Amino acid sequence: MAAKGGAAPATYSPSPTTHKKKRAPIFTDVDWVRPDGRDFHHCRPAFLRTGAVNAASGSAYAEFGNTKVIVSIFGPRESKKAMMYSDIGRLNCNVSYTTFATPIRGQALDNKDISAQLHKSLEGAIMLDTFPKTTVDVFALVLESGGCDLPVVISCASLALADAGIMMYDLVAAVSVSCLGKNLVIDPVSEEENYQDGSLMITCLPSRNEVTQLTITGEWSTPKIHEAMELCLDACSKLGKIMRSCLKESASTSQE
Amino acid sequence: MAVRFYRPVFALQLTPALNSFHTPIVGIKSLKLSPASTVNTHFVHLLRRTNKQTYLFNLRLHRLIISSDTKMVETVNGASDLSSEMEVDAFRRLFPLRFHERHLLESVRPDARSLSKARDTSLALGAVASADGSALAKIGSTTMLAAIKMEVMTPANETPDEGCIAIEFHMPAICSPIVRPGRPAEAAPVVSKQLSDTIISSGMIDLKELSLVSGKAAWMAYLDIYCLDADGALFDAALLAAVAAFSHLQIPVVSLNDEGRIVVCSKENEGEKLKNKPVNEEKRKLKLRSIPFGLTCIIHKNFILADPTAEEESIMETLITIVLDSSYQLVSLYKPGGPALAFESIIQDCIALSRQRVKELQTILNEAICDMEVD
Repeated sequence: MAAKGGAAPATYSPSPTTHKKKRAPIFTDVDWVRPDGRDFHHCRPAFLRTGAVNAASGSAYAEFGNTKVIVSIFGPRESKKAMMYSDIGRLNCNVSYTTFATPIRGQALDNKDISAQLHKSLEGAIMLDTFPKTTVDVFALVLESGGCDLPVVISCASLALADAGIMMYDLVAAVSVSCLGKNLVIDPVSEEENYQDGSLMITCLPSRNEVTQLTITGEWSTPKIHEAMELCLDACSKLGKIMRSCLKESASTSQE
Repeated sequence: MAVRFYRPVFALQLTPALNSFHTPIVGIKSLKLSPASTVNTHFVHLLRRTNKQTYLFNLRLHRLIISSDTKMVETVNGASDLSSEMEVDAFRRLFPLRFHERHLLESVRPDARSLSKARDTSLALGAVASADGSALAKIGSTTMLAAIKMEVMTPANETPDEGCIAIEFHMPAICSPIVRPGRPAEAAPVVSKQLSDTIISSGMIDLKELSLVSGKAAWMAYLDIYCLDADGALFDAALLAAVAAFSHLQIPVVSLNDEGRIVVCSKENEGEKLKNKPVNEEKRKLKLRSIPFGLTCIIHKNFILADPTAEEESIMETLITIVLDSSYQLVSLYKPGGPALAFESIIQDCIALSRQRVKELQTILNEAICDMEVD
């Protein structure tokens, strides 16, 4: 929808991005400072709030550093007509990105894959038999992508589900760790994700100590995997506490 | 003052009848036990599900109630208990028009506003760090996030000294139960076109200011507006977010490199900076002339309702949108059909309301700009 008539002219972003790959070796050193000055095992401060969207049955907003996400829940509502009969409920997940989420406009990743992963990590935590024949829609919008988008979306979605009153066994907390050379960095920002050798993400139910999804990609050694998993699980249980307190807070303010 | 509706047969009939439908009703059994907030949301689900059968059922119920009990409405003083609140909510869902008309006769709206009053409006600039300019506007619960990204283009041959603005309005699935992913909302392209027409024709931005190197390079401003929560008056909120994003816009300092491309002068390439002088050092901000502000009104019978909610928009269908600029000049007037006709006097009244609203919005925008400069 260009302001001037005719086909929109080809544009390019003036920020240089192509030659950044060259700076990768800095991360292989043992000592370096993370782009936002955190320790390797420090997570970004998490801001969570429920009830961001009034039109939805439940919603939550999450902000982890520069990663900003809104998740809305709709339903349980009638499943699509074409769907087969099912005596347990269905979960429909969709993740989308704003055009300004990434540094270069409209460069968002393929979100089909992220939607599927969101679905997989949530379905184990939800009591699907409490809403037979119906569908719960989980829609996420990444307002700004600053690294670790998927874990933030998952944690935010479980909070939104709780806000919508959907029955769950426990909240779902998700944390990822990147392997950069010899170091493990927790909750990586986009820049670190771009240079990572491998990544590991755990989504778990912190108070039941159950894992709903574990994704490992890239180059890992067995002891590293153990170390990373322990790191993640520890962070998940801490994140779970923050999420719980956020829910308690919103419940106490709504009662007043 | 709370309105109370007596309808003794309702609760008894609704439960078994609805349970026999294909769609089970979630939480119906817990209606009376759960706290007020959950009751309301469950109840909304219950009545939002408008398949044909429920609709026919509602019609039957409607007739039944009308014939058996014509004097259902009674006003009671003081706070209402849970059961009466639920009944009001049911009445609101089943007879929306009557529910609203009763309010209009008392010159008040369901959310306790007077007819001519707009909802509380707030504005925050710089909500998106990855954009060159951004703003979050909230009118009632309608929320809009606008962000501008600047890119470089080669200007068209006819206009070598002008840049370009591309405006797009998005309604992602999160904003409303009506929108589903993959099926864009009908309203989105309409609002999108309206916005770009308004912003271009208001002359707020001189496209010449977006020029970098005459005939070689100019700015293309991509303005994307996302609706995060849709609760009526989408255009007004989107326009407010858009103009606020433009007033927050900081154009990056760029220079022409040896390959003839425009690159950002950042601290990293300071070495290059010496040999390539920035081309736009003094043009970091756009000068906004005559900022447009909009107000949407509903026309229903003789009533004019300013700044409608989504519920009001869906029940009373005649809308009129008026855009005035900061000197109260009419920029656009848009009345997309609807059953009510707009007479001259009604349009005059609407314009008078818009004048007031422009004043309010201008103060809000100025305050937001001041807040940002203090930080």
